[in-house]
Amino acid sequence: MKTIIAYIRRKLSVRVSLWVVFFAAIIFNMALGFLFYQAREAVYQEAVNRAMQILDKTSLRVDSILNRVEVASNMTRWLVQRHPDRADSMFVYSRGMLANNPDFFNCSIAFEPYYFKDKGRYFSAYTKHVGDTLRTTQGGSDHYQYFYTDWYLMPQLLDRPCWTEPYVDLDVATNTSEMLTSYCQTIKNSEGKVIGVLNVSLSISWLSQTISSIKPYPNSYSIMIGRGGTYFVHPDTTKISRQTIFTQTMEQPDTAMAALGYAMQSGEEGMKLMTLHGEDCYVFYKPLGQTGCSMAIVCPESDIFGGFDRLRNSVRTIVLVGLLLMLYLFIRIITRELKPLRRLADEAETIASGQFDASLPDFQRIDEIGQLSHSFSNMQQSLVRYIEELKNTTAQKASIERDLRIASAIQMGMLPENFPTKDDHDDVVLYASLTPAKEVGGDLFDFYFRDEKLFFCIGDVSGKGVPASLFMAVTRSTFRTVSEHESMPDRIVTTMNRVIADMNKTHMFVTLFVGVLDLPTGRLYYCNAGHDAPLLVGAGVGMLSCDSNIPVGFLPTWKYSLQEAHIFTGTTILLFTDGLTEAMDGDNNQFQMERVNDVATRALADQQQGPNELIARMTDAVHEFVGDAEQSDDLTMMAIQYIRQQHDVLMRKSLVLPNDTQEVPRLNAFVEEICESLGFDADTISSVKVAVEEAVVNVMKYAYPAGQHGDVTVEAASNDLRLKFTIIDSGKPFDPTVQTPVNTTLPAQERSAGGLGIHIIRQKMDSINYERIDNLNVLTLRKKIVKPEQSEKIQS
Amino acid sequence: MNVTIQEQDGNMVAILAGNLDTAAAVETEKAMSPLYDVVGKNIIIDCTDLAYISSAGLRIFLGILQTTQEKGGHVYIKGINDNVRAIFAITGFSNIFEFV
Repeated sequence: MKTIIAYIRRKLSVRVSLWVVFFAAIIFNMALGFLFYQAREAVYQEAVNRAMQILDKTSLRVDSILNRVEVASNMTRWLVQRHPDRADSMFVYSRGMLANNPDFFNCSIAFEPYYFKDKGRYFSAYTKHVGDTLRTTQGGSDHYQYFYTDWYLMPQLLDRPCWTEPYVDLDVATNTSEMLTSYCQTIKNSEGKVIGVLNVSLSISWLSQTISSIKPYPNSYSIMIGRGGTYFVHPDTTKISRQTIFTQTMEQPDTAMAALGYAMQSGEEGMKLMTLHGEDCYVFYKPLGQTGCSMAIVCPESDIFGGFDRLRNSVRTIVLVGLLLMLYLFIRIITRELKPLRRLADEAETIASGQFDASLPDFQRIDEIGQLSHSFSNMQQSLVRYIEELKNTTAQKASIERDLRIASAIQMGMLPENFPTKDDHDDVVLYASLTPAKEVGGDLFDFYFRDEKLFFCIGDVSGKGVPASLFMAVTRSTFRTVSEHESMPDRIVTTMNRVIADMNKTHMFVTLFVGVLDLPTGRLYYCNAGHDAPLLVGAGVGMLSCDSNIPVGFLPTWKYSLQEAHIFTGTTILLFTDGLTEAMDGDNNQFQMERVNDVATRALADQQQGPNELIARMTDAVHEFVGDAEQSDDLTMMAIQYIRQQHDVLMRKSLVLPNDTQEVPRLNAFVEEICESLGFDADTISSVKVAVEEAVVNVMKYAYPAGQHGDVTVEAASNDLRLKFTIIDSGKPFDPTVQTPVNTTLPAQERSAGGLGIHIIRQKMDSINYERIDNLNVLTLRKKIVKPEQSEKIQS
Repeated sequence: MNVTIQEQDGNMVAILAGNLDTAAAVETEKAMSPLYDVVGKNIIIDCTDLAYISSAGLRIFLGILQTTQEKGGHVYIKGINDNVRAIFAITGFSNIFEFV
């Protein structure tokens, strides 16, 4: 069954044909059903009419026979009554009666005992057909005392002529018996006294033949019952006069049969449908004249509708064969019509397998299949063209993707990778992470150490993707370039803004936070250009208050403000972009500042406010919040923890010099003495000496206008770890740390003597730091104290 | 700070001794000024006894080198100690001077 269904599903021709034939079958069925119904009604009506007509005819015929009997009887009675004393005449009358009516069975003119004195007790002129002749005899005898028969007694008792119930007449001469019914009437003399009875009999079997010779259908038959329901006529002759119509219903109740019996008995006329001998039959019944008998024609339904059923079966067979033939033809025709489609399907399969140049069959047809073939051919050509274009596009896309990957690598490469840890910095640790939403992003962070300052920035370019990334690259490199020569964030941002806004044709902008953390002091200088305020995680969790400045890139003339804060040891500055607070989960809910605060608060409570831990916790929290939703924006975080421990000052000395280079030997002696007291070796002493000399000479030469006297204060201080020289002057602001570095690889002719001093200081000292404090230039040089044992270790 | 200039084997030799700090630079430059006028001879600066040098001293060295090279001569540095050599190294002067 499954395979058949699968076959049908696979074959369009079979399916369409089945549908067509299915609907045709429905239509045929309905039309034929209606036709058959109508025809059956007509046949039925015809059967009823026919049966009724036959019944009427038969009834009339029986009536006429009976009438004839009665008329003949009356005539003879008249004759007998005219001449009641002539016994011999009675034989003539009797014989005449049968001679004139050959279909009568017998006739007897019987008289009262001893009516004819000379004839004795019995006299009955009895005539009967014997073969073709008539036999007339005297009927009564001791063996046949007719006075006691029904036919003799009934007319006398009823005092009118009557028909007897069927009875058996035994003919002694031939020893044959015959079932008879007799019409009998009294013969009266002139005084009205009954002198005898005239009896004319009809053979029931003859009557039966007369009745049953009329057969409307081959298997139909007639029955006749008398007043008491006794069968007079029945195909089963054993039942005649022995059984009544009710006999069977006694053995097994049959209400239909009983009802029929009562109806016939009471002289009704009609039709009943009933089951006789396991067969549906129509029974038409009608009373027979005045006899009190009723006759019925039993027509088996199969007979009535036999012809109709045969016709119907023939039509059914024809329709069925026709439908099957139709199905077969449809399948053949559709299959033939769809053959090109099959080929087209095969070719399409070939094309689908990648052979785009497969040739398509040309059907030369203008119908839908021809159109399809044509369209398919066009499609194939388009497909070849599109595949070619797709290849190019894919190649281009691959190229763009490759470029994007490279761009991503370059962008990531721009970001600092080595984060300062406790191992290499005892004053600050830092960690940052940047996760772009696309290959390349518009977020940036940067930091670097210059002298004893940590320069850092975090920014977020408007928009995403390649444009943002280019802007980010520009911003980042501008930050680097500008901060090389500026130490104050406000000036860095203002300069960056001027540079970026001037070249900003696309009206992009970047929110930026630039900070400079002075590591020795923990002083934080910062400038916020429209960026999210950083979080301070230390004694508690709070926002770093920020002025409202516009983002970088709008107004080239904007003057950004500087802010200052003191960062205590242990405090972490958490900087982030709006990708953190606006990280969205699947339902577009944002992470929001409250959650950032919560995570930071918990981290602080767990003593986990270090940069790595804090960012890891924040990242986890964001991932948990976002779930499977796609990252909507670049996410960048940078955490800076200030960890410098203040050491006890062990030594502090100072020297004040005028701005005269001839004072240098004094300075050198001062430096040398300090270095020796700290146990420095000769090379280190020389290094420190030359660095301090360069720094101080720089001040002597350039801090004050030529010829004007000014002092230079040199303070020396040391703790366990470092030796620090602080060179202070009250001259014009001058930051030697932002001067252009010398190029030490140029050939002699291109070298210049300038800038060598600051270069030597950077090389010889561990750090150099400039600050402008209270209108003073404060330059700090530091040198780590290397204990002799440590230096030995290093050397070994 | 002592500067001695003498001719030796057809070369001009300047012998420097002491600390060439910024204070000493003015005098030293004056003492070494004859070297600017040397033509057709190479110059050897003997730093064997030069204990210390700062950028002021380097400036004099660079001046002499540039002047001599313009005239097609060579300036050789002779016998510098580690301390001075370190300064030469970090300033890139080791690359532009020739050493004997």
